[in-house]
Amino acid sequence: MLTKSMIIRDPLKLLGLEADEALQDGGCGAILARAGVGKTALLVQLAINSLLQEEAVLHISLKDPVDKVDLWYKEVFQNITRIHDINAANQLWDEILPYRFIMTFESSVFSLDRLMKKVEELRSQAIFHPKSIMIDGFSLPDATTSELETLKAFARDSGMTVWFTIRGHRGDAQTPDAFATEFASQYNDFFNVILQLSPDKDQIQVKPLRTETTAQPPLFLDPATLLIREKRV
Amino acid sequence: MYKNIENVRNIGISAHIDSGKTTLTERVLYLTKRIHRIHEVRGKDGVGATMDSMALEKERGITIASAATYCEWANTEINIIDTPGHVDFTIEVERALRVLDGAVLVLCAVGGVQSQSITVDQQMKRYNVPCIAFINKCDRSGADPFRVIGQLKEKLGHNAIALQIPIGLEAEHKGLVDLISMKALYFEGEFGDTVREDAIPESIAETARQRREELIDAASMFSDELTELALEDEQIPAELLVQAIRTGALKRELTPVFMGSAYKNKGIQPLLDGVNYYLPSPVDVENEALDIENAETPIKLSCRTEAPLAALAFKLEDGKYGQLTYIRVYQGELKKGDTAVNVRTGQKVKFGRVVRMHADQMEEIGRIPAGYIGAFFGIDCVSGDSFTSEGKKLSMTSMYIPKPVISLAIQPEDIKSETNMAKALNRFTKEDPTFTTTMNEETGDTLISGMGELHLEVYLERMRREYNANISVGEPRVAYRETVTRQSDFNYIHKKQTGGAGQFGRVAGFMEPTTEEEFIFENKISGGVIPTQYVPACEKGFRECMAKGRAFKYPVTGIKITINDGSSHAVDSSEMAFKAAARGAFLQAYSKAGPVLLEPVMKVVVETPTEYQGTVMGTLTQRRGIIVGSQDEGAQSILEAQVPLAEMFGYTTILRSLTQGKAQFTMEFYAYKQVPKSIAEEIAQKNEKAAKTGT
Repeated sequence: MLTKSMIIRDPLKLLGLEADEALQDGGCGAILARAGVGKTALLVQLAINSLLQEEAVLHISLKDPVDKVDLWYKEVFQNITRIHDINAANQLWDEILPYRFIMTFESSVFSLDRLMKKVEELRSQAIFHPKSIMIDGFSLPDATTSELETLKAFARDSGMTVWFTIRGHRGDAQTPDAFATEFASQYNDFFNVILQLSPDKDQIQVKPLRTETTAQPPLFLDPATLLIREKRV
Repeated sequence: MYKNIENVRNIGISAHIDSGKTTLTERVLYLTKRIHRIHEVRGKDGVGATMDSMALEKERGITIASAATYCEWANTEINIIDTPGHVDFTIEVERALRVLDGAVLVLCAVGGVQSQSITVDQQMKRYNVPCIAFINKCDRSGADPFRVIGQLKEKLGHNAIALQIPIGLEAEHKGLVDLISMKALYFEGEFGDTVREDAIPESIAETARQRREELIDAASMFSDELTELALEDEQIPAELLVQAIRTGALKRELTPVFMGSAYKNKGIQPLLDGVNYYLPSPVDVENEALDIENAETPIKLSCRTEAPLAALAFKLEDGKYGQLTYIRVYQGELKKGDTAVNVRTGQKVKFGRVVRMHADQMEEIGRIPAGYIGAFFGIDCVSGDSFTSEGKKLSMTSMYIPKPVISLAIQPEDIKSETNMAKALNRFTKEDPTFTTTMNEETGDTLISGMGELHLEVYLERMRREYNANISVGEPRVAYRETVTRQSDFNYIHKKQTGGAGQFGRVAGFMEPTTEEEFIFENKISGGVIPTQYVPACEKGFRECMAKGRAFKYPVTGIKITINDGSSHAVDSSEMAFKAAARGAFLQAYSKAGPVLLEPVMKVVVETPTEYQGTVMGTLTQRRGIIVGSQDEGAQSILEAQVPLAEMFGYTTILRSLTQGKAQFTMEFYAYKQVPKSIAEEIAQKNEKAAKTGT
């Protein structure tokens, strides 16, 4: 097995968040940015990090078809293997693939309740046991507080963590920072980690908002690979 | 008889299985007066659709072989190839697209963009074939053409734009609104023969206006004049809009979308107009040939009849008058009595009967000018052969041919059947390059190989019916392969110097895995330690070993051999000695290089009611499948998985019984993947046992 021997930089550790500490079972994370900044790329990067630890990831997409999500994974994976100079990338990909399950929904038929039923079905029939759920494209205001609490409890009882991408609208009268601050205060009880992607000149800065982290230098998304890096290009 | 070449369309009708291609073609033939009565695919009259001429096609209600036909609509001649929808017959679609100038992509208004639509779309991209889409079955419960347009954009990346909107859907589907003329169209008469134009119903007038705006927006990308008029909010002439859409469609940057219901005879006439307006004529398409005498330099072909002949045989059929060859003429003219050269064999041929096909009937025509599709009799050739005028050696680019992945051992039950089976196999292998036969030297069985269970099943059935051959069939066999997983050195001396002429050769170097090609040979010999004249013999020796691996006795693939040292003897070295040394070196390195068994893994797509989603997933994981993803569309779900072919035999029956026949699946070859060790051992043991018992 190549996966266990893989040593790559854990994006959460780079952010000063020890993954185990930041997101325990039932822990929820959010990646916050306006459209087209790199939310899905970062989400996929976190997912691949879990896959490389042989932890099952259920990727939910409400905006892209399965093939397109798969393409995201392939691209981010290729970038990671290239940067870390990993040989036998094909073999490694074959090894992590069984740990990933992509589920796409038409947004009109999606609800958190439906998602929980699906996950329960996968688990009870021993088809797939996700350790993390990545939800891309869900509009959080569509869910009630009680639904969110139910999801959190379900994740805790099932030993899972949940990540969401949250879209702040482009051209909002509100500034991105004001939107992020308001979001963080509104969902203070729900999210354990909030990462804001913030365009900074021609770079994209990754700012942890919610968690107290050890003082870290600012982190950026590499504009070419959209992977987290420690300094500006 | 022949039109101005600009008034000719060579089109294919492609889609997912059961989207209604043949039903649509039947309507097209009726409305263009090629037939005088409509017969349904599984009609109560038992006649079957005109294009499904093979007995088996009529029985199963599927199209197996492409059938060519032609018709005339609004002074334009349309040559149509009806293509099969099932993935196993994908070579038929490949061939059709290679020779066609445009295509109609038929989609189901309920099912939307399904797995085979994606395959067909990739094929269209490969051959750069412009297309228009027809969203069929708008009368069905759950029909939603605009959801399908969304899928065309998302799943296939098409810049799809509706040219029509439906007047009512499902049982209420009454007609269409043409967004160019902004008129309602109703199809009246027994078979929708008469198109009645009327004002747009009030209830959908606003929707129509919005959709027309979207259409103008999309089309204005291809016409500055249109952009200006749109910006100035002026009246837009229909001709200008049509011309802009045509420009976009021919560049494959815009996909005009039509809709209707072929079964209910709605929307066929506007679609035919669309074929004329938005698909290219032969002169709109740039075709190239390879000049064989000039290092295969690509040269552009012109669609002039006076130019030297360049034509491609794309399909063969064995009929009652001998071999019938379908041909597309790209340049020049193919005339009865003329001679030409088969570029592959270099043989001169003389064309006898030249005909035009209409399903299984034909019409003598005498000549096929540039841009047309026709057929001739009596010339021995294979599918993919190019024909050119004498003195020219122009080969049309070769077609992509997928490799077979499944085999069956077959045996004739009596002497008569043996002769008939041989005849049948000879014909089928000539017609279909994805169908091959080989002889198992150990067991004496004939192995037939193809693209899937159905593919082989159809040929077996045809052998029984058309050739009266009684055949017993063995278990299906998967085309396993072997490869190596790590680098390994070799240094082998082949030496026989005891009495008579001696043999001596030493070969050293290393073997390593590669994913680039099946076999790569690199010569890094310096200082002439292996004399140059013996290097090809070394390569041959290594290559020969690829035919059967030492570990599992299957063909070897994905190996790179580098030779970097060796030695020779002034008297005893020979080609034979170095070939033997290379064989020894291969065996020496192979067992150390971590040989593994590979198996074909299929991309399986199952469409199922959502209530059965969990059950279906279970059946796939039980079969060592990896579920790539699922798409939940409410009542219906689509699952995509990668499953080893060896586990998929008989899956049709299991899926049917578990879902009350409500789920269906398609599969196509995805990749060769390593077989898990325990299963590889089982296979090796089984093979060993079979070798001992001689079965």
